[in-house]
Amino acid sequence: MFRSALRGTLSAGFMVAAMAAASAQVLEIGADLSPTGLDPHLITAFPSFMVVNGNIYEGLTAIDKDLKTVPSLAESWTVSEDGKSYTFKLRSGVKFHDGSPMEAADVVASVKRLLSKDIASPLASRLSAVESANAVDAQTVELKLKEPSAALLSSLSTIAIVPRSMETNKDALQKTPVGTGPFKFQEWQPNGYILLSKNDAYWEKGLPKLSGLKFNIVPESATRQVGLTNGQYALLPNIDAATALQLKGKPNVKLAETMDLAYTLIGLNVSKPPFDNPKVREAVNYAINRQEIVDAALFGAGVPGGPLSPALKSWALDVKEFSCYAHDPAKAQALLKEAGITTPVAVSMKVLPRQDIKDVAQVVQEQMNKAGFKVELINQEQGQFIQDWRNSNFDMFASINAGQPDPDEYFYRTFRTGGSTNVFKYSDAEIDSLLDKARTLTDQAERKKAYDQVQKKLACSGPVAHLAYGTLFSAMSDKLKGYDVMPNRSLMMLRGASY
Amino acid sequence: MNRVLLARLVDLVVVLFGVSVIVFLMIRLIPGDAVAIMLGANTEITPERMAELNRRVGLDRPIIEQYLLWAGSGLRGDFGTSLWTGRPVATEILIHLWPTLELTFLALVIGAVLAVPVGCLMAQTRGGAADVAMRIGAIAGLTIPSFWLGIVMILLLSSWAPSFASLGYVPFSDDPIGNLQRMLLPSIALALPILANLSRLVRSAMLDALGQDYVRTARAKGLPERSVVYKHALRNALIPFLTSVGIMTGYLLGGAIVVEQVFAIPGLGRLILGAIAERNYPLIQATILVVTAGFVIVNFLVDFLYMLVDPRVRA
Amino acid sequence: MKSLAKNKLLTFAVLLVAIQLILAFGAPLLAPYDPMAQSVARRLRGPTELNWLGTDQLGRDVLTRILYGYRTSLIACVLAVGIALFAGGTLGLMAAYYRGWLDRIVMRIMDVLFAFPVMLLAIGIIAVLGPHTFSAATAIAVVYTPIFARLLRGPALVLCESEFVAGAKAIGASDARIIFLHILPNLASVILVQTSLLLSAAILVEASLSFLGLGTQPPTPSLGLMLSEGRNFLMLSPWSAIFAGFAILFLSFGFNLLGDALRDTLDPRLRGQS
Repeated sequence: MFRSALRGTLSAGFMVAAMAAASAQVLEIGADLSPTGLDPHLITAFPSFMVVNGNIYEGLTAIDKDLKTVPSLAESWTVSEDGKSYTFKLRSGVKFHDGSPMEAADVVASVKRLLSKDIASPLASRLSAVESANAVDAQTVELKLKEPSAALLSSLSTIAIVPRSMETNKDALQKTPVGTGPFKFQEWQPNGYILLSKNDAYWEKGLPKLSGLKFNIVPESATRQVGLTNGQYALLPNIDAATALQLKGKPNVKLAETMDLAYTLIGLNVSKPPFDNPKVREAVNYAINRQEIVDAALFGAGVPGGPLSPALKSWALDVKEFSCYAHDPAKAQALLKEAGITTPVAVSMKVLPRQDIKDVAQVVQEQMNKAGFKVELINQEQGQFIQDWRNSNFDMFASINAGQPDPDEYFYRTFRTGGSTNVFKYSDAEIDSLLDKARTLTDQAERKKAYDQVQKKLACSGPVAHLAYGTLFSAMSDKLKGYDVMPNRSLMMLRGASY
Repeated sequence: MNRVLLARLVDLVVVLFGVSVIVFLMIRLIPGDAVAIMLGANTEITPERMAELNRRVGLDRPIIEQYLLWAGSGLRGDFGTSLWTGRPVATEILIHLWPTLELTFLALVIGAVLAVPVGCLMAQTRGGAADVAMRIGAIAGLTIPSFWLGIVMILLLSSWAPSFASLGYVPFSDDPIGNLQRMLLPSIALALPILANLSRLVRSAMLDALGQDYVRTARAKGLPERSVVYKHALRNALIPFLTSVGIMTGYLLGGAIVVEQVFAIPGLGRLILGAIAERNYPLIQATILVVTAGFVIVNFLVDFLYMLVDPRVRA
Repeated sequence: MKSLAKNKLLTFAVLLVAIQLILAFGAPLLAPYDPMAQSVARRLRGPTELNWLGTDQLGRDVLTRILYGYRTSLIACVLAVGIALFAGGTLGLMAAYYRGWLDRIVMRIMDVLFAFPVMLLAIGIIAVLGPHTFSAATAIAVVYTPIFARLLRGPALVLCESEFVAGAKAIGASDARIIFLHILPNLASVILVQTSLLLSAAILVEASLSFLGLGTQPPTPSLGLMLSEGRNFLMLSPWSAIFAGFAILFLSFGFNLLGDALRDTLDPRLRGQS
């Protein structure tokens, strides 16, 4: 009693001292994994995105907290009648961290860099519709498209604008990024931390409020938690439910939550038995108990999910619309019998090396084993997993994918015949024509109708059994103000945060 | 003396050569196309990028030539550049070497300094229940998983002294107190098995020495017990003690790899585990080679010092 | 009096190891639950009447998984140390018996393998073979082979010079007969002590590798893996991590104590002293 009173007095004293220094602080962030590189056109994983996107670099557009596309480096834009030409008016007075002005030539160079075979950017498919980029004048850029692309503006938010001098440079940006964002790169101690400092010349006056961001790489979850409760770290961004649950109610710690765009999934290879048969894929859906997965692996913090995240309120269908989402092992067995398959049918499942996915995989294994399957789990390291994924070298896999704000960004490359991430070898004429049509539609209601059909068809017999969308949390010191967790895991809001 | 030294030097070179061959062959033993697997961590590859990486790793040449090129540049301290970050591999290793060295050094110091009094105590109370208890304690110390101990210590500390900064790493040159504060728990976790091992060694060496004629003589001459133990016996006990310190370094490196993971210390362990996740084989190769070579050379130097100290070995 | 204390210690060690062996290999009979059976409603609990050591993050019984974990660890480590003993022992004995170039080549190769820090070589081997219990066991076997070779070569050299080996040679015994019937039995105590100590160390290495995600993989129950999974939920329920840690400690401790007590009892040099 006395001790806690004393502690209260002490911390009150510290608070006075801290307030004097408010906002001039470097925010200590506890991050779980080390980025492998910082080149915004080459990175593929969350740990890199988190540091780079919105903090060091910006795109022509940005995605806000409600997943709406808003202006960023482009102040405004116009779209031609046929939807094949976009004209962007650039914000004036924007400077790169090296002091050079950001102009149309830089935007053109960035688009060219992204699309160049030599750079081989994994993001290139997001701009696959772009035919050419031209600088009309220093402040105006025109993008010409091969075909209309409804998702273009949303996709552009993830395409960082880099200085024109970097167009053919493959190595420099991996180590020392140069962007236009509110924070500039200061120091990278590999496996230790990445330090960003305030960009005093940032175009939005008065921002950022913090004097810097320090991403401490702390691989152990327990270590991160202790670091937050003892005040060594002020923010643990984008944590899972298990971590959030453990930090709930700890003194001086507050939690923020939102519905995650990222989803857990089971991928099925439709190019070989048994999953080449739509009935078997349907059986998988009946075998899976999604609510149990949410309860077990997500600690109840999440919802069973269809092909689109419920966070996409204007697009996603309610899972009640999907008949095969009712958990029914007997029905699964019956479907397998109908498909002429002797049970139990042995299949292997490759597992992405993350604790939550390993747990999801173990739960799914148990569920499927009760419904006529015999699942063997194959745990791999990241590199091997991704390679097998890309080479379609799997029966099934369990993984987590970052979702996108526009349905086209996910559906087209994943389920269209020959799509760039259609590793399932899925090919369906009806889905193809719906996807082709939907990306050229500009009327929201008509697009939604097309995507409703796509969702219904994909949910039960598609190559992916979507499992669940988790609640995404961030845990932070209660002194951190003005930051909120975003569904797409961006830390963009840190520019307006103070501590 | 010189001839013995020369023979040892030849041994050293042979071992280093053998180590380099094994490490070199490692990447060639990977089933399948190593380059394709390495690129697996990147999502989009073109045949040009494959060919470029092939050239960079040197897999397109005859194997003897590959080895000579690799070993040749390795001798000059050039291990190429890291596949993904573009930083020189030698720099990556150097950056990550210091925290591990510091951790290893501190654990060794803590273990060795405490081992002498603990070992003496154990030798003096030999026989009886106290001796058995101490032996059991020492074995428990030896077999306690250091990573588990680390986690338990972090948890206990977080409830006892919530504001004690115990995680991460700051270089000693930046903030000596902060550095030692953060290194305290991991070094203790790592030092416990060292302490257990070395104190047992001190104990048996002391018992050995106590049985020797000159100690008996000294005792018979009426010198007080304490001075007998410390002056005569301890001096002899220190020689096996020193040699086993050399062997301990190898154990410590392994332990450090796991403990670094728990305490968020950016050392060699984190480097090599990260490299495995990314399938960055050249980095794994270079790290194993450099650390093992360092380890072999340290042991050689310990042997050499030992020879200088103890003339009996020279024969 | 003293030797009695020593025998007590040895008895204790033998009992400790025997109990753990029975627990491990009797796991299917002794364990109260199926090691894979999940029960989300009962997860992350502390010890209760139903689950004596609590439950893990998927509601699986910790006691059951520890028993099966013992089995996984023991099978991997006994196999690994056994292979190392066979390979290293054979090489060491052959080197001592035949001497000459064979001795030199074999022992140089052993020196090279011995030069690697254990965990580092293990990690390198796993980088090549991929993460699996089998890879961890292979790594341990490779790393421990030179230890046995070096350990046995020395005393075997002395034995080769002895009169009874010369006598056996004189009556025309085959090389294999001499090595296995005359030399090997005389090294039994050294082998027994070292095998026991290395088993103790191997258990820690296997646990470390599994903890780092490089050894046994889920859903196979493994002590290192349980600790590694449990550490993500420490503040919710530390039980599975704590008990898994103790299990590793007991297992490794048992073998180390056994080796230690055996050395005292069997080693004539030390016996003379007490």
